[in-house]
Amino acid sequence: MSALAYFGGVALATALGLAMAMLLRPGFAHAVLQTVGLESVPEASANSFYTVRVAPLFQAHCISCHGATRAKGGLRLDSFAGAMRGGKHGAVVAARDAKDSELLTRVTLPATDDKAMPPSGKTPLNTDEVTVIRLWIAAGASGTLPVSAIKGAPRLVAPVKMPQINPAAVAKLRAPLAKQVAQLQNRFPGVIQYDSRSSADLVIDASPRREAFGDADLRALAPLRDRIVELNLSGTAVTDASAPALAAMPLLRTLRLTGTHTTGVTVQALSPSKTLRVLAIEKASADALAPLRQRGVRIYEAANGQ
Amino acid sequence: MGNDLREQMPHVQVWDAPTRLFHWMVVILIFVSWLSADQGYMTVHLCSGLALLALLLFRIGWGLIGSTTARFSDFLHPPRAVLSYLRGGEGLYAGHNPAGGLMVAVLIAVLLVQAITGLFANDGLHFSGPLALLVSDDTSTWVTSLHGTIFNILLLLIWCHVVAVGFYLFVKGHNLVKAMVTGRKPHAHIPAGLRITFARTYIALLLLLAVLTAGGVAWFIIQGGVFL
Repeated sequence: MSALAYFGGVALATALGLAMAMLLRPGFAHAVLQTVGLESVPEASANSFYTVRVAPLFQAHCISCHGATRAKGGLRLDSFAGAMRGGKHGAVVAARDAKDSELLTRVTLPATDDKAMPPSGKTPLNTDEVTVIRLWIAAGASGTLPVSAIKGAPRLVAPVKMPQINPAAVAKLRAPLAKQVAQLQNRFPGVIQYDSRSSADLVIDASPRREAFGDADLRALAPLRDRIVELNLSGTAVTDASAPALAAMPLLRTLRLTGTHTTGVTVQALSPSKTLRVLAIEKASADALAPLRQRGVRIYEAANGQ
Repeated sequence: MGNDLREQMPHVQVWDAPTRLFHWMVVILIFVSWLSADQGYMTVHLCSGLALLALLLFRIGWGLIGSTTARFSDFLHPPRAVLSYLRGGEGLYAGHNPAGGLMVAVLIAVLLVQAITGLFANDGLHFSGPLALLVSDDTSTWVTSLHGTIFNILLLLIWCHVVAVGFYLFVKGHNLVKAMVTGRKPHAHIPAGLRITFARTYIALLLLLAVLTAGGVAWFIIQGGVFL
């Protein structure tokens, strides 16, 4: 046999082998045809039901095993083309036939089934998510059908993302007052809290101490005044003598003075505050409150229940 | 006298039994490894992969202390010699020719990388390679991806190997497959006057035993077993 004939035979055998592989593996066939341009690559539009509702589910539950890094079973769900191409055993989505779609079958199998997806140990799809996929397939598994075209889909709930907290950064933020805060927390247990896990701002609630908390105690909190954003003095023995201390809190947003011995004098002292947003008070005239009202401060007066 | 010998012994032994066994065991284990991974029988895949790794380590040792035609020094040639051979250079070789020798070296290297990456891989479900826990999840995932890519490279190399063997069979009339089964080649296909030294089979057994023992010790160390 001549070399030319041999290599011609090799080319023919290779082509036949490739054809056989494409017949046995439809997903492979689509990949080859799309790569050489003999088949168009299906794409989903930006506002389609697939992009808005289905793709995020694949992103959350599937692509760690069926994505670019790893494509188990030859299946990729990180693109509309991949989802429609299917895996090495064929298509996983049968348009308009949810019951015959391997994708839906797998995600609805009991967790104890070896073929259940996502596999045990991973977060399964909830009922709403399964419904979204079922509706999408039943409507034709389209990549262009808009969200509004598919009725009955469960309401889209935005995922809650908790911000990552850097303990070192928070500690650094709180460091300037950390010692005083700790000392005063010991002196007034349960009264002083940080505004949030990542904040250095302080929330003071002296109301449980009732009459045992007076002007002298409020003066003791003076080292913290630059960080106090909420102050609840309801029912305490605080008087107008604390007005200067209250007015000297530059970040104070919320102040509750109901049940205290404060009057319009304290309100007048607070008038220049540019940060105050909420004030609850019992004994103050309308005239004294007027400047605050004009600046949009929400006033709660115990006497008239506003 | 020389011609008489050739007439009396038309075939001569060129491949020893360990080399031939290695070759066909590798063929079987590659197939088993592919099939088991494809069908999800990962325990079988692990066993075939470890067996393949042991065989490769054995073959490297055998390439240093084995029979003449099994030695790297016999079939690894400078690039210029390989290119010259591929351009139609003549010459008879009892074992691998320069191009074949290069292919063997590349196949062993790629198979070795494939077997080693398999140790660190995971299937994303319930199976991890025995060394996967020594690396981060991200690294293991990356190695797994590499494991898949190398398999495709391996398929290409195997295709080249088979095409070359077919070329020798159908175009040049050299049945290399039969030679790798029987260990014998026609006298006319090997250089005249060549002396091939065959290593004792028990040395191959000792080498395989050493590889398996080393593998066993490594296994127990990794598992925190009885030796630690």
